[in-house]
Amino acid sequence: MTEHMIEPDAALASGHPAHKAGETLIELRDLDKSYGAFKALQGMQFELRAGEIHVLFGENGAGKSTLIQIICGVQGFDSGSYRLFDEPVSVMTPALAHDKGVSIVFQEFSLIPEMTVEENLFLGHELVQGLRLAKTEMRRKVHAVLDRLGFALDPRARVRNLRRAHQQMVEIAKALLWDCRVLILDEPTASLTDQEAAQLFDIIEQLRADGLGIVYVSHRMPEISRLADRVTVLRDGKYIDTVQMADTSEKELVQLMTGRTFDEFFPEITRSAGDTLMQFEGVTLQRGMAHDLSFSVRRGEVLGFAGLAGCGKSEVLRAAFGLEPLSSGQITCGSTRLERHSPRKALNNRICYFPSDRATEGLAMSQNLISNSTVAALDDEKFSRRGMLLKRPAERSFAKEIIEKLKIRTPGLNARADQLSGGNKQKLMIARGLSREFDIFLFDEPTVGVDIQAKLEIYDVIKTLTEAGKAVVIASSELAEVMHMSHRVIVMREGAIVGELDGDEVTEQALLSHFFAHEEPAAQAAGEVN
Amino acid sequence: MADETQSTPLDMRAIAPHLLLPLAIIGVVVFFAALQPAMISGGNVVNIMKQSSLFFFVAAAQLVVIITRGFDLSVGANVSLVSVVSSMVMTSLLPGLGTGIGVFAGVCTGLAIGAALGAINGALVAYARINPFIVTLATMSIFTGIATTVSGGFPIFNLPEGFSFALNQMKILALPIPLVIAGAVAWALHFMLTRTVHGRVLYVLGDSNEVAHVGGRRVREHLFFAYVTSGILAAIAGLLMTAQTGSGEPNLGTSLVLSSIAAAVIGGASLRGGTGTISAPIYGALLITCLSIGMNLQQINGSLQPVVIGAILIFGAALDAYRTRGR
Repeated sequence: MTEHMIEPDAALASGHPAHKAGETLIELRDLDKSYGAFKALQGMQFELRAGEIHVLFGENGAGKSTLIQIICGVQGFDSGSYRLFDEPVSVMTPALAHDKGVSIVFQEFSLIPEMTVEENLFLGHELVQGLRLAKTEMRRKVHAVLDRLGFALDPRARVRNLRRAHQQMVEIAKALLWDCRVLILDEPTASLTDQEAAQLFDIIEQLRADGLGIVYVSHRMPEISRLADRVTVLRDGKYIDTVQMADTSEKELVQLMTGRTFDEFFPEITRSAGDTLMQFEGVTLQRGMAHDLSFSVRRGEVLGFAGLAGCGKSEVLRAAFGLEPLSSGQITCGSTRLERHSPRKALNNRICYFPSDRATEGLAMSQNLISNSTVAALDDEKFSRRGMLLKRPAERSFAKEIIEKLKIRTPGLNARADQLSGGNKQKLMIARGLSREFDIFLFDEPTVGVDIQAKLEIYDVIKTLTEAGKAVVIASSELAEVMHMSHRVIVMREGAIVGELDGDEVTEQALLSHFFAHEEPAAQAAGEVN
Repeated sequence: MADETQSTPLDMRAIAPHLLLPLAIIGVVVFFAALQPAMISGGNVVNIMKQSSLFFFVAAAQLVVIITRGFDLSVGANVSLVSVVSSMVMTSLLPGLGTGIGVFAGVCTGLAIGAALGAINGALVAYARINPFIVTLATMSIFTGIATTVSGGFPIFNLPEGFSFALNQMKILALPIPLVIAGAVAWALHFMLTRTVHGRVLYVLGDSNEVAHVGGRRVREHLFFAYVTSGILAAIAGLLMTAQTGSGEPNLGTSLVLSSIAAAVIGGASLRGGTGTISAPIYGALLITCLSIGMNLQQINGSLQPVVIGAILIFGAALDAYRTRGR
């Protein structure tokens, strides 16, 4: 047990760190960082002032994570300068950053589920009296910080029993327990419902008023417009620009981030809506994530599902593929009613599904490209004799073909799936859609975690499929994506369909107005499922 | 971004396991031969071939389930039970039906028992979804108990000589019969793992059950048959070992549990599932057999052998951790 006696009260007692608004807290100049031949950051510039919320904006893989890891000492940097509180920093470690008052709330939670809130808050920095833990003292401090943040949390509750949003609050409380002058939040709303997120925004704004410098990593537009004072845009590891949020429009930001205008970015997909291929009638899911769903999926058009995280849109796709049992209602595909639905049955009814979670459901990570590309088509005559013996040459040539067609960058056919980058993994998964004949393609978050180039290629696949007369369904949390890719958009909120927009009706205003509840929050119960 | 995934064709981490084991086996043989030339005498080489062939089957039984990210702690108990019951069948049928039919019935019974024991494990793992460690730990105890009970705890003697001849002493083209059977089974297993849909699915589900399920595979069915295969392979080991000892032994397989896992793991099967080829039980069986016979020739205390097996298992698991590091 080490005596760790930083004075945690400094910030709490006075309520304000000793920084005047506008004072520069962090200054990075011409920072470079590479991993081997891969340049993660090039010529990075960044400045954080006291009393501002500074958003880091960029695609996945743009270098945001590397940048914040350098700031808080998890990673070193190769060249350039880093000044913290007006002192040059040569070597930074997480412990040093913590001592100096730089706190980070990671995307992945750093809490220990089996411990209580209180134990987690002091983890590694326990207060001691002699050899004993100073429990009363710690309890007092926990109450102080929770009161300050306005969190109604029981310090003795086990973290395992808390909801994700409350775990997030514990993370923030943990960061603020010590004299914190810089707070870094890495996509803090990723797992929160809107209400929880709104509560978090209030807290962040209060902290800004207290004079903290806040680095906020996100690529969600509504949050950025609400919170940001300044935005620094990164693209492919390069510094693009730092802009004042007040005089920058969303379109301009996206243009900075992608290096393209909206019109160039999303392909124009010709719509030629044909027969109905799939129909949901009054479908309610057993797990309660979605209820009373009725809609139809048609050939030759893209149907989009929009809504906030946790609204049930991805469960709809999972239900269509037989991964979510129904409690009532029915799904029909063509003229067959899909009873006792399963992925196997879905595939045999020419339904193809691409899960959002590549790592657990999409790809067998230690298997090679060939095995991953054909796994859903092993019963097909193309790849096996009577579903028993593999036709390996056919598999091989198929894998070669899709590598070329989808431009998958790989060390070779026998490379394992986990040797590929995010975008190439996604493309490998999509290759499955070409392994046998399908009519319906279900994409759950088709471009999450992929780089821009791969994103464009995936959009191109969607375009090709749709124009070939297939039915395509996309569920996406990225508003721009679902808006620009779909011909028809179904908006979901708290597990229910709240609107369907067609053709020209699909506008940002129309979508957003459906996203948020207008009536009294009577349907709370439905929202409690996550 | 994708540049970082490019690797040179000469990736030592990929090649090393393929060279390491043959070299280690040769090293062990050379080391013991230097101490005791009898190690490479004709008789001893035949002995090594026979012993490692017998041992190959339990290691292979282990491999099939390790690929599915499982375990089979009951292989040894399976060997014992098969030994006892098939011996009892043979000795009881022998007087009435003659050697040929008696031996045939004994072998068939043995294989059927192996399949049945495998099916019990498979049903509990795949359909009842109980952790394979717990399932096979329990069935290990159950099968051993049954083997001891039916035999009354005593060996079953007076097996037909034809049985020992057919499954142990016979030679085909100068090769001992256990080696011939091991070769044929190894080939069949290799074929199953690499050329059939079932084999492919075992690897995929070993990597991730969800991926196989989303890929439309019947996960439970394939998992079930992996345990049945494992049971049959253990039964073959049980029959061959019985033919070698010449009697049905209720504790024939007791020491095989740990060593079979050690052989599969040191041979290159990963406990994380999804990997491992037929070379794993082959190399693993050869390595452990050579070590064990070498130690016997050096008259090293037999009680030290479990120490060596344990060390090999840890070493193999460490190699596995090294190979899969960073994934």
